[in-house]
Parts: sequence; C-alpha cells; structure tokens
Amino acid sequence: MKESKINANFHGIILSIVFLLAGGLYSCAAPPEENDRTKPASNPVDMQSKAPNTEHGTIFEKSKPEKTEPEPRKKYTQAPLTMATPFIHAAYEADLEDCSLCHENADPRNPGRIPGTSIDLCLECHEEFEEEINRKFKHVSVDKVTCINCHNPHNSENPYLLHESLPDLCLNCHADIEKVTKQAKVKHDAITTEKKCVNCHNPHSSNVEHLLNQLPFDLCIGCHNKDGLKDQQGIEITNFEALLDENPEQHAPVAVKDCSACHTPHGSDNFRLLVTEYPAKFYSGYDPKNYALCFECHDEEIIAEPRTTIHTQFRDADRNLHYLHVNKPTRGRTCRACHEVHAAKQAHIIREAVPYGKRRWMLKLNYTRTETGGSCEKTCHSKRDYDFTRSEPIIWNKLPTSKSTKEGP
Amino acid sequence: MTCKVQLTVTRCGVFFFAVAVLWPTTLWTFSRAAIGTKIENVEMPTLDGGRHHLLGNAMANVFVFFKPGQEYSDITMKKMALCEKETADKSVHWVGIVSNRIPPAEVESAVKEAGITMPVLIDVDDALYGSLGVKLHPVVGITDQEHNLVNYQHFTKVNFSEVLLARIRHLLKEIDDQKLDKVLHPVVATTGGNGTKARIRLMLAKKFYKTGKYEIALTHLTTCLDDDPKLVAAHTLRGQILAAQGNYSEALEAFQIALELDPDNASAKEEIKACQERIPER
Repeated sequence: MKESKINANFHGIILSIVFLLAGGLYSCAAPPEENDRTKPASNPVDMQSKAPNTEHGTIFEKSKPEKTEPEPRKKYTQAPLTMATPFIHAAYEADLEDCSLCHENADPRNPGRIPGTSIDLCLECHEEFEEEINRKFKHVSVDKVTCINCHNPHNSENPYLLHESLPDLCLNCHADIEKVTKQAKVKHDAITTEKKCVNCHNPHSSNVEHLLNQLPFDLCIGCHNKDGLKDQQGIEITNFEALLDENPEQHAPVAVKDCSACHTPHGSDNFRLLVTEYPAKFYSGYDPKNYALCFECHDEEIIAEPRTTIHTQFRDADRNLHYLHVNKPTRGRTCRACHEVHAAKQAHIIREAVPYGKRRWMLKLNYTRTETGGSCEKTCHSKRDYDFTRSEPIIWNKLPTSKSTKEGP
Repeated sequence: MTCKVQLTVTRCGVFFFAVAVLWPTTLWTFSRAAIGTKIENVEMPTLDGGRHHLLGNAMANVFVFFKPGQEYSDITMKKMALCEKETADKSVHWVGIVSNRIPPAEVESAVKEAGITMPVLIDVDDALYGSLGVKLHPVVGITDQEHNLVNYQHFTKVNFSEVLLARIRHLLKEIDDQKLDKVLHPVVATTGGNGTKARIRLMLAKKFYKTGKYEIALTHLTTCLDDDPKLVAAHTLRGQILAAQGNYSEALEAFQIALELDPDNASAKEEIKACQERIPER
C-alpha cells in the first residue's frame, strides 16, 4: 500500500515542476499553528527576497517574464498538510523525523530555512528541468518566485503536488483569463476538458510565446483533426487536417500557424471564438465594424474605395470588384461568399462552391483565373470577366441583360 | 510486413506533404516581389520632413509596412521597437513605411507609443505599396546587403519577434540553418524534460548518501534500479554506499555490474581494485 503511494507520488513527480522543500517557514510535521517557528517568513515572496542570487537566479533575470506579473488572490501554505494526502514528496516522506535533507535544521519542529533558493534545491534532484529553465519564455512563478508558488514541497491532495487542481490554481493569479472563460458567450472546450490549461500551455517554460506547448496551429490541429467535433450549438466543426490536406492554398494566418490571429482560445463573444466581429451570414449590409476581423490585417480600402489600382487586383481596369460585391447597403456579399476562410484549392483561397440558404446548397462559383484577371459564371451571374490591365472597365449592367444575368443568390 | 512498410511510407509521405504544405513561406510574399527579387532602393520623404532611402548598406535591411490605429500594426510596432533595440549594435538598417493617407499626427502618435527609433518613410500615393504589391498590414521585408529580398514576414500574434530576430541573425550569419529552423519550428515544450523516475531516485539517493543516511539511500537506489536496471551511475553509487558500510563483497558485485554495463568506466575499475584489496582472502 505504502509502495503504491510512493509510486503514485513519483508518477506525479516525474511530470511536475521542480519542487522541493521550501524555505524553513514551517515545521515539517506539525500544522502551522502548532509550529515553533524561530525564523518565520509569511510567504514565498518574502523568502525569495531574502535569498541570495544564484546562478539560476541570474539566468532568470536575463529573460523577461511574459507580461506584468499577475497577483495571486490567495496565498498557499508551503507547510506539510496534516491530513492524509495521496501525494507525498519522496524527499519529505523518506525521513519525517529529519528535515535536513533540504532544510538547515533536522528538527521537524524547527527545520529552519533552506539554503539558497528553492529552485536550486529542487534542481539538485530534478535535473530533468535544467533544459526547461533554459527555454526562452518562463512562467512568472518559475522566473520570479520559484516552484513553491504552485507546488507544495511536502505533500498535497493534488497530482504533481499542486496546491490546487487546474484550472483553479492558474486562475488564482490569472483573473483576466478567469473572467473571459466564465463570461464569454462562446466557450472553448479545451479549457474545461482533459488537462485543462495544460492542454495548451506549459506551466514552466516554452520557446513559444504565452508559454504555449507548440505554435498555435500545431496545438489546435491536435484536437481539430477529427470528424464529429461539435460546437455548443451542435454544429459540426471542420476537420482541419483533412481540409488542409485537400486544399493547398492557405489563408496567411494558417500558413504561418497562427490561428490566434483570428481566434481567441479562452472564450469569445463572437461566433467561432473570433477575436472580433465578422458577419456570420452570406449577405450583410456593408459596415466596416462588421469586418473588423478582416481589417486587422487587410486594408479597408479594398472594400471602401470604388476605384483603385493599388489595393486589389480583383478589379476591372480600376473598377474595384471587391467594392462592387461587398460594399452595399443591404445585400452585400460577405467575404466568405467567395473566399474560403482557411484554405482552398484555388489561388486567393477562392471557394469552389458556397453553401447557400437554409438547406446549404452548394452553389458553384466557377471561378477561372487568368494572368491578368479572371472570370466567374453561372451561379450568381452569367460569365463576367475582369482584367486589371484594361484601360477602361466593362460596365456589365449597361450591357443587354438576359434571364441568366439576373443577380442572385 | 508489407502493410507496415506501406504505412510507414504513407506516414512519411503525409509528413513531408504536411511540411511542404504548412510552411509555404515563399508563397506568402509581396504579391509583386517574390523572394530573391532585387528591391529598388527608392528615396522617400520621412515623417520628420527629411528624405531617407528604403534600404541601406547594412548586412540586413528591414522595412515594415504598418498602419497606425490598426491593432495588429500597433502590436507589431511595439515588438519592432524591441527588435530594433536588440540589434542596435549590429549591421541592420531599419525603416517603417506608412501610407500618406494616414494623417501625420496619427503616425507620430503611433511611433511615439510604439517607441521605435527607425526613420518612418511616407509612401506618397501608395507608390511603394503598389510596386511591391503590399496587401496586408503589418508586413516586414528583409533584404541582404545587395538588396535582394530574402524574407517576407507578416503578422503573427505568437513568436513574431522571435522569428524576425532569428531571420536577421541568420542573415548576419550569427546563427546557422539549424538554429533558424529551431525557431521557425519550435519543438513541443514538454514538461519534465527527458528525465526519468530512475534519475530522480538516483539524485535523491546521492543526497542521502552525502548526509550519511545509507539505508535510505539504498532504498531509493533499489527503486531506481527496478525502474532502470542499466543505469550505471546507480550501480556505482550502490557500490560506494555498500563499501562505505564495509560491505565490500556486495560493493564489488555492484561495481562489476557497472563495469559490465560500461567497460570504459574508469571509476568502477578503481573501485573494484579497492574492494578487492579490502576483501579478506577466503
């Protein structure tokens, strides 16, 4: 039984952060209120401030934390929990009567401080974290205060000797994320399932900003690579691995693996976790605010200016055909009427067909590209070509109309 | 067997296809200036009323098109300011480019907010935008000393500065292809590194050995060797502890196992010799 407890503990240790016996704040055996603390320090911050600079401390100072350090709302005890806990640190459990392996004194009632900083002590056994602490981006808790911010160095009710289970432990400091995850209209299952925050973030360090385990796309595709995933409304979510396998022309953020340029992973008030507004429908009256998402990277002039020779090559001479299609007071076509959002087979991520109406009929665009323009035909209008090298645009509305040239859908 | 080979070949195919497809960096470039194009070193008016060339004689010439007020441009320019500082003592020529459609006061405010010190060139009537085919904001172009376009980078929320600096350093020959590749394709940030339970137990046992707690150390070594029976350092430590306890014959066995696992282990050879000298002849 004891052996299985040790094994469980070690299973926790192997994957968890470097932790070890913290500064001699409390007794090893007795609860805090019963301790005879000769050198009390109220929290790990105090401890750190009194600790000498070490080699690791210097390493950490070289790299800046991701952003301003968030303040923890509650402070966790580093003392041993008096209740029976399923997870016990092997270094603590090995000899409950002698704390000197990590502390300056052997006496459990007066263990004293730890020498140097806790992270140095942790690394004496957890050498496997040497590589991690040398990564570019470090968690503030590792960078500034060390392991015991998140781990109890003695024992815990939680795996990896965490003070609390996830996501509560993370949200104790990251109040902004808590607000988003709780209040957002559109939620992301990644936050509440399996490993929760650690599904996407490395709690210690990473070579990717925001302590992401991988670049955003690589992370997202880890889950969005299967059929049958559904959103909160029960609508099936695209299998992106399959989509990208079949569609080599990719939207720039996809090509550079940055899903977060358009989607916010913690939650959003916008459809499909979009970072800002974008019309969800086929038709929309033109309002720049509706296209805020696109205009984060694309120039508004693409749609705002009726004539241009600079902002787009989807023009007939200087007649801007983006303007013509989108910039209408009521039934303007939204970007997705012609473009795939993520990837397509054709250049400029132009769709082959567009789902239309409640029955989502797939209407073919029949787009053909040429060296100096292109053409579309049949579905929305009869064949109309454009050529950006023309000196004068063809004004189709002035040409004789036939039944097939009627506008639609 | 055939099936397995086919599966492996298919997986390799999928992998290489994915790499080829997912990183078409050369495809994403200025629409009228592909990688390798020689960029014309035009002289342009600057925000402060002077004139400045788009490119310099530096080993790396970096030019960024940005649009004040556009969130991603503003974010990027702050990052550019940091990149600029990091390369302050290097042969890098930086310029920012804005359209003359943007009111100067707005540009000045954005420049101040971002903290960039690079000259800001004013693109009159979007002439440079048009000649390069700039469609997005923000985008960065990098040329070599001969003004050939070697890289194009548009906005990413994640690792923008990392990638940009790595590309500059690569151009400055400070990092090689392999190091650049590590930045472009960072490996998964695993937790716990490559450590093993056995290694942790070994380190713990070492600590107990150093404090003279031999029995506890041996307990941890037993667990350690159960997990990894071929861990030479654990056998060596076990031998040292047993020898310290005066149990030379068992220590000898431990050292001999260490030597079998690592025939070049000089320390084990010495320890064996020392043990043999201490074991009384039967």
